[in-house]
Amino acid sequence: MSEELRVSPIETRGVAGKRRFAMVVDTRRCIGCMACQVACKAEYDTPLGVNRTWVPYKVSGKYPNVKKHFLPRLCNHCDDPPCVRNCPVEATFKVEDGGFVLQRYERCIGCRSCMAACPYNARFMLPSHRTYTPITNVVDKCTFCFHRVTQNLVPACVQTCIGRSRVFGDLNDPNSEVSYLVANNPTQVLRPEQGTKPHVFYIGADRSHTEFARDAYRRLDVMESERAAFNKHFKI
Amino acid sequence: MGDYVWFHDVSWHATYAIYFFVVGILAGLSFLSYGSWLMPALRPLREKAAYGSLGLLAVGGLLLIADLSQPMRFLNILNPAYLHFTSPLAWGALNIVAFGICSILYILELKKGEDSARGKLLAMVTAILALGLPVYTGYDLSVHQSRPMWNTPIMPVLFVGLAIASGSAVGTLLAGGNQAAQKILREFMLWSTVAVGVMIVGILGTTNYGGSAEELTFMLLTTGTMGMIFVGLGIVAGTAAPAAMLFVAHLKEQTTGLAIAALLILIGSAALRYALLMGPQQLQTLY
Repeated sequence: MSEELRVSPIETRGVAGKRRFAMVVDTRRCIGCMACQVACKAEYDTPLGVNRTWVPYKVSGKYPNVKKHFLPRLCNHCDDPPCVRNCPVEATFKVEDGGFVLQRYERCIGCRSCMAACPYNARFMLPSHRTYTPITNVVDKCTFCFHRVTQNLVPACVQTCIGRSRVFGDLNDPNSEVSYLVANNPTQVLRPEQGTKPHVFYIGADRSHTEFARDAYRRLDVMESERAAFNKHFKI
Repeated sequence: MGDYVWFHDVSWHATYAIYFFVVGILAGLSFLSYGSWLMPALRPLREKAAYGSLGLLAVGGLLLIADLSQPMRFLNILNPAYLHFTSPLAWGALNIVAFGICSILYILELKKGEDSARGKLLAMVTAILALGLPVYTGYDLSVHQSRPMWNTPIMPVLFVGLAIASGSAVGTLLAGGNQAAQKILREFMLWSTVAVGVMIVGILGTTNYGGSAEELTFMLLTTGTMGMIFVGLGIVAGTAAPAAMLFVAHLKEQTTGLAIAALLILIGSAALRYALLMGPQQLQTLY
C-alpha cells in the first residue's frame, strides 16, 4: 500500500460526515506584515515572549540581488499528532470532527512532554503572571481558532491576512478553497519526514526551509550558511 | 534555519537530568539489595542499599513534582480517568508508585532482621520495578521521533547501563573496606561502564551520519561547553578513565582506587545524562 493511501485510525481523511480543517499558506503572497501575529495576540492576549503563530524569515542571495522568504508558522494540527500521543493525562486531545488539536488547560500538569514531542516548536508554556486571565503555567498552542470556526468564522490570522496568503477551510469538502488550492498547486508541509501529516500546507515554500534533516537535498552553500548560523548562536 | 531563529525554550531543563541521575542510582541500589540475596558477599549492603533507594525515591519524586509547572496537579497523572497509556510518563508514574509501595514493604520486612522467603520475594519484585524506572526514562526520550539522538531504541538500554554503573559506584562507596563486596562491585562497575561507553560511541556514530539535524546535534554535543560536559566529563573522565582504572590489576585490591573510579563514574553518568537531555533539545530552539 502506498504511503498516500495508508491512513491511521485517528485520521479523518475522506471520512464522510467528518470535517478536516486545514490551512493553506501561500508564501508567494506573504509580505511579512506580521498582521497575523498581531491579530492572534489580540484574539488571545498571548503574553510577550510566546506566540501561537509567528512569521520567521530568511534572507537569501547577495546584495543587490537579495530576497526575503517568509514562512508563517503555527500549530500544524497534525493528523497523527505526537503531542497527543505523549500527553500523560490527555490534556492534549484531537477533536474527531474537524481535526483540531486542542488543550485542556484545567487538566494540564505542565510536564512539557508535548512541547518536547512537537517537531514544529508550536507549543509554549504560559508565564505565571497574566493580566486578564487566570490561565497560567500550562502549555498553550494555536487552536485554529476553534471558537471562531464553530461559529462559521475563519481564524483571526486568516481574517486579517492582508495579502490573502492564509486560506482556511475543510479539506474533506471538495468545493472548499483549501481543497482547490491543495489539489491544484504543488504544496509543501513542514518536516514531512516526521510522518505527522500536518494540516498546514505551504505553497511556494523552499524545501530547504520547510525540512530540517534533509541536507542530502541541500546545496553546499546552504549547509555552510547553516553551520555559520549555528556557530554564531552557540559561540563555538 | 539560520535566519529563521526565533525565541524558543528547551522543554525539559536540568532538573529532569538530576531526576534521571537520582532514579538511576536508586534503581542500581535496588539491584544490589536484591543481589545480596543471591551473592553472600553483598550481604552487608542489603539494608543500606534498600534505605538508600527509598530515600532517593523521595528525592526523585519531589524533583519530578517540582519540575512540573503545575506541581499541585501531580495527582492528575495517577487519576485513572486521565491516564493516557500511549505516554511513557503515565507508565512511569505507575511504576514509581508501585516501586515506592514495594520498597516500603521490603524495608518493613528487612526490619524484622531475618532472611525470610518473603523478604527475598519482595527484594526481587522491588528490583524488577526498579528496572522499569531507567527503562521508562529512556523511553521517555526515545519516543520523541523528531529529536535526533533521543529517537533510538537503545536509549532505555543505555539508561539501564547507566543505572547499574552509578548504582554500583554508590554501592562501592557504601561498602567501605569490605573487600569481598568490592570485588563483585568492581566487576559490575567495569562491565556496565564499558557497556555504556560502547553504546555512547554507537549512538554518536549513528547520529553523525544522519540529516542536518543529526549532524548539528553531533556538533553541539561534541564542541563548546556541551562538548566539555559530554565528551570531557561524560566520556573521557567519567567512562574511559574509570574503565581503564578498573582494568588495571593493581587497583583490584585498593579501596582508594575503587572509590576514585566510583566517583568518576558518578560524575560521568551525571554529565552524560545532562548532555543527552539538553544537547538534542538545544537544536530544536533554532527551528
